Amino acid sequence: MIRKLTLALPALVLVLALGTGAAIAGSTRTQADPGVSEREIVIGATTPLSGPFSSVSSVTVGANAYFKYVSARGGVGGRKITFKYLDDQYDPAKTVQLTRQLVEQDKVFAIFNSIGTEHNLAVRDYLNANKVPQVFAASGSTTLGRDGSKYPSAIGFQPSYQAEGWVYGKYLARTRPGARVAVLFQNDDYGKDLLNGLKRGLQRSKVKVVAAEPYEPTAVDVQAQVAKLRGAGADTFAVFAVGKFAIQAYVFANRLGWKPKLVINNIVSSASNVMTIAGEGGTNKLVDATVSGVFLKDPTDPKWQSDAGIKLYQQILKRYAPGANAADPYHVYGMAAAFTLVEALKKAGRTPTRAGLVKAVAALNVTKNPFMIPGILIKTGPNDHFPIEQMLLQRWQKTSWKSFGGLWGYRGA
Amino acid sequence: MRLGRQLAPVAAFVALAVVVLVLPSFVSAFRAQQLAYVAIYLVALIGLNVLTGYTGQISLGHGAFMAVGGYTTAILMTDYGMKDVWTIPIAALLTGAVGFLFGLPALRLSGLYLALATFAIAVSAPAVIKRFEGFTGGGSGINLFGVPELTASLTPVDVLGRELVFNDWLYYLTWTVALVGYVLAWLLLRGRTGLAFRAVRDSETAAQSSGVSLPRYKTLAFGVSAAYAGVAGSLFAIATTFVNPDTFPIALSILLLVGVVVGGLGSLVGLIAGAVFIQFLPIWSQEVSRSPGAPAVVSGLILIALMFVLPMGVAGLAGRLRTLTKR
Repeated sequence: MIRKLTLALPALVLVLALGTGAAIAGSTRTQADPGVSEREIVIGATTPLSGPFSSVSSVTVGANAYFKYVSARGGVGGRKITFKYLDDQYDPAKTVQLTRQLVEQDKVFAIFNSIGTEHNLAVRDYLNANKVPQVFAASGSTTLGRDGSKYPSAIGFQPSYQAEGWVYGKYLARTRPGARVAVLFQNDDYGKDLLNGLKRGLQRSKVKVVAAEPYEPTAVDVQAQVAKLRGAGADTFAVFAVGKFAIQAYVFANRLGWKPKLVINNIVSSASNVMTIAGEGGTNKLVDATVSGVFLKDPTDPKWQSDAGIKLYQQILKRYAPGANAADPYHVYGMAAAFTLVEALKKAGRTPTRAGLVKAVAALNVTKNPFMIPGILIKTGPNDHFPIEQMLLQRWQKTSWKSFGGLWGYRGA
Repeated sequence: MRLGRQLAPVAAFVALAVVVLVLPSFVSAFRAQQLAYVAIYLVALIGLNVLTGYTGQISLGHGAFMAVGGYTTAILMTDYGMKDVWTIPIAALLTGAVGFLFGLPALRLSGLYLALATFAIAVSAPAVIKRFEGFTGGGSGINLFGVPELTASLTPVDVLGRELVFNDWLYYLTWTVALVGYVLAWLLLRGRTGLAFRAVRDSETAAQSSGVSLPRYKTLAFGVSAAYAGVAGSLFAIATTFVNPDTFPIALSILLLVGVVVGGLGSLVGLIAGAVFIQFLPIWSQEVSRSPGAPAVVSGLILIALMFVLPMGVAGLAGRLRTLTKR
């Protein structure tokens, strides 16, 4: 009897202690998910701060500036947003390790806008199994939107690459019957999705893809590919390449004396600063024959010079990311995504929960994102994990882009 | 005295094993996972040190050998339903064979030319992997998380009556392999073979004239070294639960060489420091500054400083301390 009591007593004390402890904790804060406290929401991301792809990390810098701006103005429901981003050097193996660090050690509430297609796919199963939201992944990979039912906690942001390619295909089919297209594409999901989308958009049309040359993202240059494409007798050149490779495509085509009537350049590499360099000081006429898609306001486009959204963008960047180059449109991308997250967090419960956020990002209807082209919606549903499904086409004219025609929309492509 | 000298390494090893065994009780599960990567790098560094430190053959392509091991494990697990641990010895054998075969043409190359040839494998590996997309999954790679063949990723595993979550399981798996690999390398290097390796390193002509067969020992060194890299790659795939061509970048090959040099060429004891260095340097350098480009500069500066202070690596420091205390 006594022995039983000696066993029961400590157990009783323990239960009481835990009970009161929980009660005290419960009175000060309701059951919160990791990363959410009374005054703070901590979110995390991986981004290439170093390495050959480090220029892309401007996206993260822009998002961080916007979170600082929102936090300084009271945050979301009185909670400031702390954005913890880590350098993965664009190496998916590092993305995995750092994402685990963010979840398990830094206890972030959600992973937001991590950069890269393979990088987001490498952690998707892990985040989904642990019910950590993986919101607005910075990749146009089609599977991010298509497989929303299998991975409810994962969602992308920008128009999918396949949808983008599809728009170019439809545009060519409608306006250039009989055109012969030569495609330069990066040999990964990004380049292949664009190419597949283009081919799908061209189905049952009189436009033909006569050549398609891949290059490795680790390659030094694309000179050999451009030379091959030139020999294919095409009158339209589609550049599904990123950064320096896109610039090289213009420069080499020009040097080889290739004069396609039309150049299609993809969204990721059609920023004004890229086009200006590719123009080689006005000597390369190919840029003036270029058409590209767009869904964000380009900060160098004179059209937006007195636009309230771009003015806000410039102010925020100057104040919260001093030294950042305001002409870099990747910053706008980051801010547009950050704006959308803040909208979603407002709808994720008074004390935001992970389940609440996952639900909120699957019920978005943002009509006025100040950093995006007016009229383009951010709309999702339980079966629609593609937030942005519209874009505009634009033509390069001497020093800046000029959009033309109406919005191109598509569903779940 | 003599006995003490023979027992000292054994005692040090036992002490290390004990530390490895009890450490998880004192650190978080996440830290245990980071330390698992230290063990993985240690395995690769032991292998590279056999080749570069002991036999004097510079390799800038060990990341590619790791890729062979990593893909062997990933493909066996997903396409052939093999349990992760059983793929490790197969990865070792296969990568060892690949290394041995590469050792044959490498016989004709020495010094810088060999370094360039091995660098070429590291450069071409991602393109080759992508070429065989049906087999390797191309650029999207192969995902292992949640695959039933991967131990403990979703539910804890029972090992000798202890429930281990994924991070702890990784820790014990990798360190067990690393310690076994360490002992095997020590046994190999202390005997005749090790002597022959060192003879080749110090002077090929002298080695040959003393009856050491150059082709035999050079290809052997390549094979053994690649087998270790294959095991490391296999463990890397299991720990990362994902392989794609970019998970074995050129930078990895260079980083491994950095690890061997920091640890100390031609010495086994310093390698743990080398492995800690290459696992934690990128993490530490981010703590200094996170502005774009800065972590790489910080890493570079630390490396330069380290080479000035410790030209012989950590093992050299240990040696210097020993001579100081003797005086």
